[in-house]
Amino acid sequence: MTSFIRLIGQNVLGFCGYLGQLLLLAIDSFRSIFTAPIRWKLFMGQLLEVGYRSQLVVLVTGGFTGAVFAAQTYFQFHRLGMDSAVGAVVSVSMFRELGPVLTGLMLAGRVGAAMSAEIGTMKVTEQIDALRALGVYPVDYLVVPRVLAMMISMPLLVAECVGLGIVAGYVVAVVLLDVQGAYYLDYMLSFTGSRDIKMALTKGFVFALIIVFVSCHQGLNAKEGAVGVGRAPTEAVVIGSLAILIINFFLSMILNAIFPAGI
Amino acid sequence: MTGAASPARESSAAQTRPALISIRDLWKQLGEQQVLKGFDLDVATGETLVIVGRSGGGKSVLLKHIIGLMKPDKGDVLVEGESIVALTERQLSRVRKKIAVLFQSAALFDSMTVEENIAFPLREHGLKDAAIIDEKVAGALAMVDLAGEQKKMPEKLSGGMRKRVGLARAIVTEPQCILYDEPTTGLDPIVADSINRLIRRLQKRLGITSIVVTHDMKSAFHVADHVAYLYDGRVYFRGTPDALRASTDPLIHDFIEGRSRELLSDD
Repeated sequence: MTSFIRLIGQNVLGFCGYLGQLLLLAIDSFRSIFTAPIRWKLFMGQLLEVGYRSQLVVLVTGGFTGAVFAAQTYFQFHRLGMDSAVGAVVSVSMFRELGPVLTGLMLAGRVGAAMSAEIGTMKVTEQIDALRALGVYPVDYLVVPRVLAMMISMPLLVAECVGLGIVAGYVVAVVLLDVQGAYYLDYMLSFTGSRDIKMALTKGFVFALIIVFVSCHQGLNAKEGAVGVGRAPTEAVVIGSLAILIINFFLSMILNAIFPAGI
Repeated sequence: MTGAASPARESSAAQTRPALISIRDLWKQLGEQQVLKGFDLDVATGETLVIVGRSGGGKSVLLKHIIGLMKPDKGDVLVEGESIVALTERQLSRVRKKIAVLFQSAALFDSMTVEENIAFPLREHGLKDAAIIDEKVAGALAMVDLAGEQKKMPEKLSGGMRKRVGLARAIVTEPQCILYDEPTTGLDPIVADSINRLIRRLQKRLGITSIVVTHDMKSAFHVADHVAYLYDGRVYFRGTPDALRASTDPLIHDFIEGRSRELLSDD
């Protein structure tokens, strides 16, 4: 029994320690943004990698999610004679939940893994020690450009994901399933407002910070050897994805109080 | 011949020169292992000190303390009389401009060309003029006998060439001191000899203070003004290479000869 309590205590302390390290990294990064020179070339490179090159995966995710969600909603609502409400359901769901969460999960996989693998490899091949030995603070050089790129890219990617999801939902509902286009749009516009856009963008921004700090932390703390480098991206994706799903719930409750859903 | 009891066998010239780096009662534990146990050492300006010792004995850990990459559990590291132990990472940048490191793996940035690697510290130290940067890069490459290799990527280089590029990156900012972490490990004897000659050449031409960590005794005898033998977390011997060779201490003798006293089953 004592060992069980000790085990729980150790895990709780370990978790608190991990959160503390993430917080310190975040504070250090934001301090760097305001006090150290920004490396614009690295930032632009990250913007290209994180933002531009993630578009395809995000658009495919958003498009097909919107399409299948519209179809499933139609199949249920059609029995109740509520075909025209499909647009509103798809639109509000894409903005408030599906768009930000799915974009977050896709980026945690695509970008988070790449970040932690790259930084982890630099760590075990002494390149980060070399940076420090050359008088360059690794947070300034490696973390800040990624943080800035993620903070800018993620809300835009969420917007793309949501936008294509709604378009795909419209095509499926109106073109394939014969929902009246005018009613579809009217309901959609009635139930969707700036509050939903704000919620989507806020979530996107928060998820960007989760992904970038979890991934950079895993990379910077990668253990020696191939196993260590291999574990860093795996853990970055798992922790990043779980954190997005868990924090999304609490974020939804808080943001719903600020930007309440409905007309 | 334990650290405290060992007579310091130093040349009078080295004793009169001021210490560039002083290490005082340094203690460091990594995991369960106490790696450094009250390590004391002075490195005079302009000298080449070789620190020898067995693999895993704490030589690389010691180098990382000298440049502030690791913090000791106890003790002090002084660079030109200034303690660096309590400095923050940003404050250490000032100290690190005086000391360069050649890492065991050379630690070249693999996303950059040779030229970009060598120019990196210049740009980070605020040099903007492309013509001056090009000139300094070419000069550093010529110094390590790699003139004209600017555009190659690190993965296209052999182990010896990587070390040379790492050395060019270390000397391009004209530091006061270079730390070499196992500079000849993993190289064939011919390339290892060329690296040793390079270390001597840099010391003679640029007057750079050098601290070389190695377990390669041939390299140690080739480049050293003084040798420190690290044993059990302390300096067991410090003196000239000739004094080390002449030592009758069984521990030192076994190390120089590369003789193991462990009994193997097939002996």
